[in-house]
Amino acid sequence: EENVGEEEGYEYGKGDLTEHACRYCGVQNPACVVRCNIPSCRKWFCNSRGNTSGSHIVNHLVRAKHKEVCLHKDSPLGETILECYNCGCRNVFLLGFISAKTESVVVLLCREPCLSVNALKDMNWDLSQWCPLIDDRCFLPWLVKVPSEQEQLRARQISAQQINKVEELWKTNPDASLEDLEKPGVDDEPQPVALKYEDAYQYQNVFAPLVKLEADYDKMTKESQSKDNLTVRWDIGLNKKRVAYFVFPKEDNELRLVPGDELRLRYSGDGAHPAWQSVGHVIKLTAQEEVALELRASQGVPVDVNHGFTVDFVWKSTSFDRMQGAMKTFAVDETSVSGYIYHHLLGHEVEAQVVRNTLPRRFGAPGLPELNASQVFAVKSVLQKPVSLIQGPPGTGKTVTSAAIVYHMAKQGQGQVLVCAPSNVAVDQLAEKISATGLKVVRLCAKSREAVSSPVEHLTLHYQVRHLDTSEKSELHKLQQLKDEQGELSSSDEKKYKALKRATEREISQSADVICCTCVGAGDPRLANFRYRQVLIDESTQATEPECLIPLVLGVKQVVLVGDHCQLGPVIMCKKAARAGLAQSLFERLVLLGVKPFRLQVQYRMHPSLSEFPSNSFYEGTLQNGVTINERQSTGIDFPWPVPNHPMFFYVQMGQEEISASGTSYLNRTEAANVEKIVTTFLRSGVIPSQIGVITPYEGQRAYIVNYMSRNGALRQQLYKEIEVASVDSFQGREKDYIILSCVRSNEHQGIGFLNDPRRLNVALTRARYGIVILGNPKVLSKQLLWNSLLTHYKERECLVEGPLNNLKQSMVQFQKPKKIYS
Amino acid sequence: SVSFKLKKQEVDPKEVEDFDRELRALMQESLDLRKLELRTRPTTLNMTIPMNVFEGSRDHGRVIEGESSEDTMDEEGSGGGTNKVRVKVLVKKGSKQQTRQMYIPQECSLVQGTKQKEAAELEE
Ligand SMILES: [Zn+2]
Ligand SMILES: [Zn+2]
Ligand SMILES: [Zn+2]
Repeated sequence: EENVGEEEGYEYGKGDLTEHACRYCGVQNPACVVRCNIPSCRKWFCNSRGNTSGSHIVNHLVRAKHKEVCLHKDSPLGETILECYNCGCRNVFLLGFISAKTESVVVLLCREPCLSVNALKDMNWDLSQWCPLIDDRCFLPWLVKVPSEQEQLRARQISAQQINKVEELWKTNPDASLEDLEKPGVDDEPQPVALKYEDAYQYQNVFAPLVKLEADYDKMTKESQSKDNLTVRWDIGLNKKRVAYFVFPKEDNELRLVPGDELRLRYSGDGAHPAWQSVGHVIKLTAQEEVALELRASQGVPVDVNHGFTVDFVWKSTSFDRMQGAMKTFAVDETSVSGYIYHHLLGHEVEAQVVRNTLPRRFGAPGLPELNASQVFAVKSVLQKPVSLIQGPPGTGKTVTSAAIVYHMAKQGQGQVLVCAPSNVAVDQLAEKISATGLKVVRLCAKSREAVSSPVEHLTLHYQVRHLDTSEKSELHKLQQLKDEQGELSSSDEKKYKALKRATEREISQSADVICCTCVGAGDPRLANFRYRQVLIDESTQATEPECLIPLVLGVKQVVLVGDHCQLGPVIMCKKAARAGLAQSLFERLVLLGVKPFRLQVQYRMHPSLSEFPSNSFYEGTLQNGVTINERQSTGIDFPWPVPNHPMFFYVQMGQEEISASGTSYLNRTEAANVEKIVTTFLRSGVIPSQIGVITPYEGQRAYIVNYMSRNGALRQQLYKEIEVASVDSFQGREKDYIILSCVRSNEHQGIGFLNDPRRLNVALTRARYGIVILGNPKVLSKQLLWNSLLTHYKERECLVEGPLNNLKQSMVQFQKPKKIYS
Repeated sequence: SVSFKLKKQEVDPKEVEDFDRELRALMQESLDLRKLELRTRPTTLNMTIPMNVFEGSRDHGRVIEGESSEDTMDEEGSGGGTNKVRVKVLVKKGSKQQTRQMYIPQECSLVQGTKQKEAAELEE
């Protein structure tokens, strides 16, 4: 009874290798391939030498000791088994062409015996001109063409060793593929990512197993997340669908639900109710960890029961399938990306290419703030390059710059521009900014997120479909109303509804200037037939490479990756995959390959005192302040900053760290107690809850602080509930007026774990606009070089303090010698 | 079109040597096998070439095709020569004979031979 989504069964990765593609290298030009004619083999091979001395077909025949071939039906001779015209011998090692008599008629003749038959001489044939079929370890190139250099460069670069290995494998498993050679055993460490790849097949060979590892891990963790004995509150949504509300307690480092996730709600039944279950989508999550689940089926819901429900996570492979599909398309479909981008992405040396477009006179765009010099430079430069990177340090106006680029790209008339980001939040922000320039924007949402509220709902495709034509006469509108009222349609009406809806979707998408979706969303079947030459990916440093590839393989010729490799990268749950390098973004690899990002240099977020350390430590001191001290003065706020000119301090904490109840995270009670005191002081001094953010690297501490504040907060409980307490990682891309950072780690001998990553420290230090308070143990943190210099920075500014909040004193705590340089 | 430099991998000389050895062995084995077969079953010439394939070939059969040949199969990778000679290839489909047109580079020994012969014939 479960309604299967339209997408299921959709095959990702278009442009399958045709049957006649060379089994070694993938070349599929019919003029260049022949089929081995041995019945147990029948594989196709091309006539290119690649990296070996003989051509692929000759290599195969020699290695497999196969001797017969058949030409392709689209080759000049048509589908023909090569054989001696006289005796029918099919051994290609014996065959050659010869001119019949004096005329331009040629036949294939075998060397033994037909060539030595005296009768031919008598017939006046010139036997000395016999021309062997295989010459110089290659088939005659005028019979079987050698693929062009372009074709060869775009093909898999197979080595002689690989050929030997795969031929060996085919002896026991004739259907084996080259990928099977690379498959790691269950316990093997996967092959790590590289800087450069021979070809897209090698690329796929490296990344496909990593994506699989991550997918398996994700599936395993999510499907083990059943929760029993839940209490459910029932409601009905605006679209008349049944919504279940329940609290889904989130434990340390475990699954985090996001809107759009699919859950199965179950009731095992009782005397008055039969057993029941239904699948639904998460449409809302409150700060109190309450989940709103919109159910698919409204019938039979036990709405008079509230207790004893169970919920399971329904894992979907869609995003992973799309990554695998994109890699496959990248390899086998020559039109998936331009030749330049293909070689560039694989790290091949490519001669610089200039995109010849007339540049606009102004680089800003209507509806957007004026651009500063580094933003103008970035916009101007990327418009002229086929591949470019923009590095946007915190608060430097990445979104505005991106929107301006998209505006000018769209005005070039090269078709629609595709704009993506890994997260829905970032896509929404960008869609809003681009729409402000006056361009027509369509925001494509996953079907599972259509009921999730969005700040740019009016731009979404599903909203536009519903509101395109609401006149009484519109068939689609009538059917939609009927469907909303009845919950379902008759099968013929449903068919009509779907066809009309699809046509309307196409019409709306086609009329847009810009399509915005997540990277994974770019693999949506609704975009399958569209081509996008110009693609911009924001937050690209937070996406894995295969994820980034999804929007690119739709025909890209010009790509702009925006991000900041000095902030946190993509989250990889599977340690094995992370170790092998799946956490490195494409942006980062391109930087390592020598692509220099355009860096935005003026930050508009932080009080100049707060930006100084991050600028010097992470951006070589290049970050300039676009805001003045006056603009970041907390007027009317009476907070005990030790040095009022520097609204920041490091609050020395000596309390011990503890392992959290789950055993997988840490907490620190003293720090939590002091966080509450600081929050209370802020609130008393006139700051409102929404201005404050509490961040910590550890989930254990996050949960503990939430709990502690709501129980022990000196003020009204509700005030503390409104304060956002989050992990550092989840706060990337966001800001608050005041940030309190709780470091947690405090021990004699162990390391500082999460805090070791300089990118996490960068993110933590750059969230605040007006002021920041850091709580931590300098004795422990100072062992690490970067923290040591942060502590020194605070100490030099007399902002390293201890004692009660109303009487903060400079701390004389001794730092440790930093042990090693972070590499 | 795109221009890029790609280092062509050097072919390992040992690999070339191994491969050549195997290829020669296979050729020899094929030959030996045939000779063995022939002892038990001698071949006769059993070749009928339908006369009509020669008909008219003097007039239109041999055409030197320039680079601008419209034959689209012949765009690239044909290796070296630009001028091509059209020939008829005689193949057997079952018991029936068929001819197919094909283009051979002018410098190929196949057509060189016939050219020389024609020249010789002309001199006679
Ligand atoms: Zn074979
Ligand atoms: Zn090949
Ligand atoms: Zn023969």
